[in-house]
Amino acid sequence: MRLDVDISFSYGEVEVLKDVEFSARKGELLAIIGPNGAGKSTLLKCMVGILKPRGHVTVDGADVLSLKPKERARMITYVPQSALPEFTFTIEEFVEMGTYATRGSVRRALETVGLWERKDEPVTNLSGGEYQLTLIARALAQDSRVVLLDEPTSHLDINHTLQVMELLRGMKEEHVTIPVLHDLNLALTYADRLILLHRGRKRWEGKPEELEPSVLEEVYGVKVKILEIEGERLLLAAP
Amino acid sequence: MDKKSRHMRKWLPALAFLSLVSLFLGVYVGSVGVPASQVSTGIAYGVARALHLTTTSKPPKFFVIIWEIRLPRVLLAYLVGLALASAGVAAQALFKNPLADPYIIGVSAGASIGAAIASVYAPSQMGPFALVFAVFSVLVVYSAAKVDGNVPVDTLLLAGVAYGFMASAVTWYIILKEGERARVTWMWMMGSFNGASWANVGQMAVVTLLGTGFLIWKWRELNLLLLGEESVALGLDVSLYRKLTVGAIALLTAFAVSTAGIIGFVGLVAPHIMRILLGPNHRRLTPAAALLGGVLLVTADLVARVLSRPTEIPVGIVTALMGAPFFLYLLRKHRKGVFTA
Repeated sequence: MRLDVDISFSYGEVEVLKDVEFSARKGELLAIIGPNGAGKSTLLKCMVGILKPRGHVTVDGADVLSLKPKERARMITYVPQSALPEFTFTIEEFVEMGTYATRGSVRRALETVGLWERKDEPVTNLSGGEYQLTLIARALAQDSRVVLLDEPTSHLDINHTLQVMELLRGMKEEHVTIPVLHDLNLALTYADRLILLHRGRKRWEGKPEELEPSVLEEVYGVKVKILEIEGERLLLAAP
Repeated sequence: MDKKSRHMRKWLPALAFLSLVSLFLGVYVGSVGVPASQVSTGIAYGVARALHLTTTSKPPKFFVIIWEIRLPRVLLAYLVGLALASAGVAAQALFKNPLADPYIIGVSAGASIGAAIASVYAPSQMGPFALVFAVFSVLVVYSAAKVDGNVPVDTLLLAGVAYGFMASAVTWYIILKEGERARVTWMWMMGSFNGASWANVGQMAVVTLLGTGFLIWKWRELNLLLLGEESVALGLDVSLYRKLTVGAIALLTAFAVSTAGIIGFVGLVAPHIMRILLGPNHRRLTPAAALLGGVLLVTADLVARVLSRPTEIPVGIVTALMGAPFFLYLLRKHRKGVFTA
């Protein structure tokens, strides 16, 4: 399973993404990082077809942007940034919403995130962390080849954050898994490869261990130190 | 099986039963007293005659009242109720807004202009005029809201509201200018099933079968519309289904309005009552709300006929007077709000 992306996107005259090009494979966790306004969310929305970019997005050689939404969702899906649920669907109904969800895939997805036992509860009962897991389950139940996630750990406590990251670590064996991550330490710990976006362009791409503080200092405009503690890399930032 | 679908197994038969009761009462009660036994005899005779199964030439007593006056009227009210309530469900999903009314896309505004013009130039043709203007108005609102081939729902909502103000200005201008001649427009705008014919029933049955049938069939897509643009990631062709939903709402409401005038509140209250009772899943919500809409309108029409006998109150007044207090009660009882009941 392989994803190739090469896209540009403008809102009217304003160019938001400029020649962003990269590839991803199943088995690796590719995280997209970058400061606010770098174009990370826009990139995901373009890839899944919510926005209409120029260029191409191919999954195993097939151009997904030219597909109808129904066929495209088979190839690539997206977990939006978590907002509070507005409707009192039950957890099961909520996960069942996708076009390709089946009874079996819904059950598997809910078991994966540990919420099958609570399937009859309304989603409005869930905490922020549990709701995020439900959003991921909804994407998983689709069984799409590529899963994009927009800041899946924002607003979560440390326990749910790690739960989500472990979930992504498991997902990468079945799907091309690409989260946008704000927390650089999470990205350093969990990602196999990073793409750093800055002002709509790909500024840097590589393995977490190759990331130099100087690149981050330039992009984020802060002082950055990367420490090695017991084999883990820890990032410290100061103004 | 989850709790809500167990609810559904209870609610659908209950609503179907209520439908039959209200239809029966609608035929039974009226300004002329008809014995209950004659109602079934009359209907049985009418059906048999329509199917050419009877050779008796002499119809039973009260047959004309039952078969030619009350039954078409009651059935028309029921069908219009189905149409308005299911269109209401669809409008609320399309706009992701609990206040969305099926008329919001310009149907009632346009129909009123049509009716006002007809009242001056062709008083017998109010229905067709209303229909043509309703459809035309939806097209105007829809095109006005179009941005780069897409129709953002917020823009559509605002375009509908703006058009509504303009259209009511035109309508009131005609009514004020034409005075007495245009007075019938007022009555028409309040809604009535007076003078319903079997032809009206047939037409409305086809429209409801197509429109409401489509909305019930496409429950998954209506659920996904609630998610907005993001539902693309779950496989929905958002722009296609927005168009189809607008089309279904326009079809249902334009015909409902052209046969019975503007009957408010059913499209708002029936979906919300069922949403509070059954939750937001359109698999259950659309059919349940449609049936409730039918029951409500038949009941409202009954009240409209008997409350100030021998004259009639416009049914729109009854739906608002009955529906609003009950709705306010439900709102208070479910303080969390209507969309997150």
